[in-house]
Amino acid sequence: MKHDIHDLAGGALLAAVGLFVALYAVEQYEIGSLRRMGPGFFPAVLGGVLALLGLIIALPAWARIGQWERIAWKEAAAVLAAILVFAAGLERAGLVTMTLVSVLIATSAAPDRRIGWRLVLALCVATLSVAVFHFGLKMTVPLWPGQA
Amino acid sequence: MSGWEGFLHGLSVSLQPGVLIYCVLGVVLGTFVGVLPGIGAMATISLLLPITYYLSPEAALIMLAGVYYGSQYGGAVASILLRLPGTPQSAVTTLDGYPLAQQGRAGVALFTSMTSSFLGSFFGIFVLILLSGALSRAATAFGSADYAAMMLLGLVAASTIGAKHPAKGFAMVVLGLVLGTVGSDVNSGVQRFTFGQTELMDGVNLVALAMGLFGVAEVISNIHIAERTGVPPRIKLRELLPSRAELRRIPFPALRGASLGSFFGALPGTGSTISSFLAYAVERRVSRHPEKFGKGAIEGVAGPEAANNAAAISAFVPTLTLGIPGDPIMALMLGALVIHGVQPGPLMLEARPDMFWGLIASFGIGNLLLLVLNLPLIGIWVSMLRIPFRWLYPAILIFVCLGVYSVRGSTFDIFAVALIGAIGYALSLARFNPALLLLGFVLGPLIETNLRRALLISRGDPIVFLQRPIAAAFVLAIVALLAMSIVQTLRRRRAQSAKSTT
Repeated sequence: MKHDIHDLAGGALLAAVGLFVALYAVEQYEIGSLRRMGPGFFPAVLGGVLALLGLIIALPAWARIGQWERIAWKEAAAVLAAILVFAAGLERAGLVTMTLVSVLIATSAAPDRRIGWRLVLALCVATLSVAVFHFGLKMTVPLWPGQA
Repeated sequence: MSGWEGFLHGLSVSLQPGVLIYCVLGVVLGTFVGVLPGIGAMATISLLLPITYYLSPEAALIMLAGVYYGSQYGGAVASILLRLPGTPQSAVTTLDGYPLAQQGRAGVALFTSMTSSFLGSFFGIFVLILLSGALSRAATAFGSADYAAMMLLGLVAASTIGAKHPAKGFAMVVLGLVLGTVGSDVNSGVQRFTFGQTELMDGVNLVALAMGLFGVAEVISNIHIAERTGVPPRIKLRELLPSRAELRRIPFPALRGASLGSFFGALPGTGSTISSFLAYAVERRVSRHPEKFGKGAIEGVAGPEAANNAAAISAFVPTLTLGIPGDPIMALMLGALVIHGVQPGPLMLEARPDMFWGLIASFGIGNLLLLVLNLPLIGIWVSMLRIPFRWLYPAILIFVCLGVYSVRGSTFDIFAVALIGAIGYALSLARFNPALLLLGFVLGPLIETNLRRALLISRGDPIVFLQRPIAAAFVLAIVALLAMSIVQTLRRRRAQSAKSTT
């Protein structure tokens, strides 16, 4: 590993975000004056500061030797997929179905991949979430497919 | 209402069954998540935010606060038994708590941490009562410029004090401020950074942001780590009792830690984590046997544990009296209050005495409960450490999704949680602190409003920040902090390059 990639990439990204925010604010919103600030004033200043900070973080990182952090790709994928699938299916397939599916997806990244405990856990979580959100908080959401 | 009348009034509020039950719930849940490494107070409070929509503001705040100080009690358990801090505040407790456990004195270490936490909390409550009245009165003299300067000081302090990379901390704060500008501009009604999404018109959803950054991101990074916990020893009740000589070594370190903690907890930007480290340093300095530290010194457990609990309580001083959160957890609390339509600030003491004193009285009740429940039940809490994380995180995820959905019945928010969770995980990989982002996010709109108002009053003349004595003091402190952190960074860099060339 040659450079401190975390600070390099992080700083560069933040600088890019800051630059975008500043330019977008200047372009789209009224800046106004110090006395009467327009909606663009504060974001434009913040964007500029963020861009500057990004550079301060990224530039020295080029000369520094860094270490790779192990990225938990599998875990991140399973967790995010579970949430996305849940969001996509909740209103169509219902709370119970989606809880079962999402727990099974989320647990696919667990160190113990056997199906038995995952099914039991899925049923437990489904029971718990129906108890808390449907009966407890009286949330209006379909429980089963085709109820919407 | 004087302090004591207020406290008594508060007791009458918080002892109502409908409120008391949430205090109990809060402290029990707080201890639970504090005990478990891999899920902390921050994630739990985010998770509970949507549920508080269904509660009265008093009950909601009392429950959330209970989670916070309850987690400080629980955090020590894993620190002592497994050398695995359950919360960042209890990291110092591993230094002497774990050696004690290895010498078979785990029970005594737990007893010390619980009683010191209790002492620290009550010390913090006294400080809170003493300071809040005076500060509320003083704060009525605060103008917009003073508020803006003070909040800026809070942000600068939080990102620089005790930080290895002040620039990275500060960048997170600024990113949070940027996120805070999303939505309708208060003054002009212009939609900022909504990109045509109607869901963004009210701004980025605090619940989605907090859950993504702390719930989802922490689950991702902990699925693996949290599996590696060892097997905790069994603790018998009799083992808890210290010898008389050991008992004598608790009160003074605890009191020193408590005073240190309540001081630093009340300051903006320095929270309970820093207080506990400072308390440890102080104990080692004043000890006649500094060589015993790190090898199982009771004082090394008592001081820091009292400090972090005192700080957790006194952190409510600026939040409640000025409406300015000093640390990210307080920012979340403030967000919870705003959700309930309560704007904390100098007027709160007069306008919402039930809430103000009820909360303070609940600290007393909650801490008493924690002491009398946790000591006898310590065996149960220890056995919680045997629960593998893989049984918990799927439930956390589902509760995150349903919780954020319950706020306004929109799946957009669940998708937002996934995106924010991915960003939060990336940030933690690159060692950026997402808690600072949240602090900036909550304070952002307040800073902008006060800044604009101050400059409008002064006809656009920024000298107003130096003319008002209060604001000028804060500006001076900001400049001093920035200068200090720049000098420190440069010095460290020089030291590093000297090391790499030789």
